[in-house]
Amino acid sequence: MGIDEIAPMVDIAVSGMRAQSLRLNLIAGNIANAETTRTAGGEPYRRRDVVLRASGDEPGGVTVLNIAKDSSAFRQVLMPGHPDADAEGFVQMPNVDLPVEMMNMVTASRAYQANVAILHRYQEMVETTVELLR
Amino acid sequence: MDQSARITEYLEAGLRAAGLRQSVIAGNIANMATPGYRRHAVPFEEVFADALEKGKPVTYGDVVDQVTRPMTGEVNEIGNDVQLESEIGDLVKNSLLYKTYARLLSRTYQQMEMAMSVGRDG
Repeated sequence: MGIDEIAPMVDIAVSGMRAQSLRLNLIAGNIANAETTRTAGGEPYRRRDVVLRASGDEPGGVTVLNIAKDSSAFRQVLMPGHPDADAEGFVQMPNVDLPVEMMNMVTASRAYQANVAILHRYQEMVETTVELLR
Repeated sequence: MDQSARITEYLEAGLRAAGLRQSVIAGNIANMATPGYRRHAVPFEEVFADALEKGKPVTYGDVVDQVTRPMTGEVNEIGNDVQLESEIGDLVKNSLLYKTYARLLSRTYQQMEMAMSVGRDG
């Protein structure tokens, strides 16, 4: 472990933290909009998630390629009196499944914590090395 | 003698820049929610390497105390480009750097003292 390898190591952990933090952000948006029947574009809210890619070099960090919209079908719910109901009384609800979002939330939090732990342990390792200069 | 004088100069410059960077990062984190705020940085290592390469003098004003606004970050909906995780990462790197500079400086002074105490009791 050389002095020039410190910065890349920290950057890898930070990239993981940023990716999971963004993911958590999107999950919050999904949960908040779980019942949004109409967005600016007209159709119901579409679930969002991050698309992650490895940053290239081995070993490397993670990059968020883009924020993708889930293309699975909307849920049809029978609500005849709803303003957004169609001719047969069905309302198209967002393709957000709360149990799935909760599970993803736990995964993202744990992944974030794991990256923080890496950062912490790595800091301790380098500090022990610098202690040799005492 | 000239060589060791340079070493202490450079290490002190690095220490001072790392101290400055610590407060710049603190300022970035404090302004995380400020509309329109762009993050600041201390590009000491690049400016210093550049100055050494071109043989320019290393002065506190031009090289060490330089604070820039990179303007390279993605701006969010309030015009702010501070990312907490990146700032924490920079904080960790900078703390390690500061500690290393301080320890190296201490070692250099110890060596000088050792050199000075040779022949003292002879």
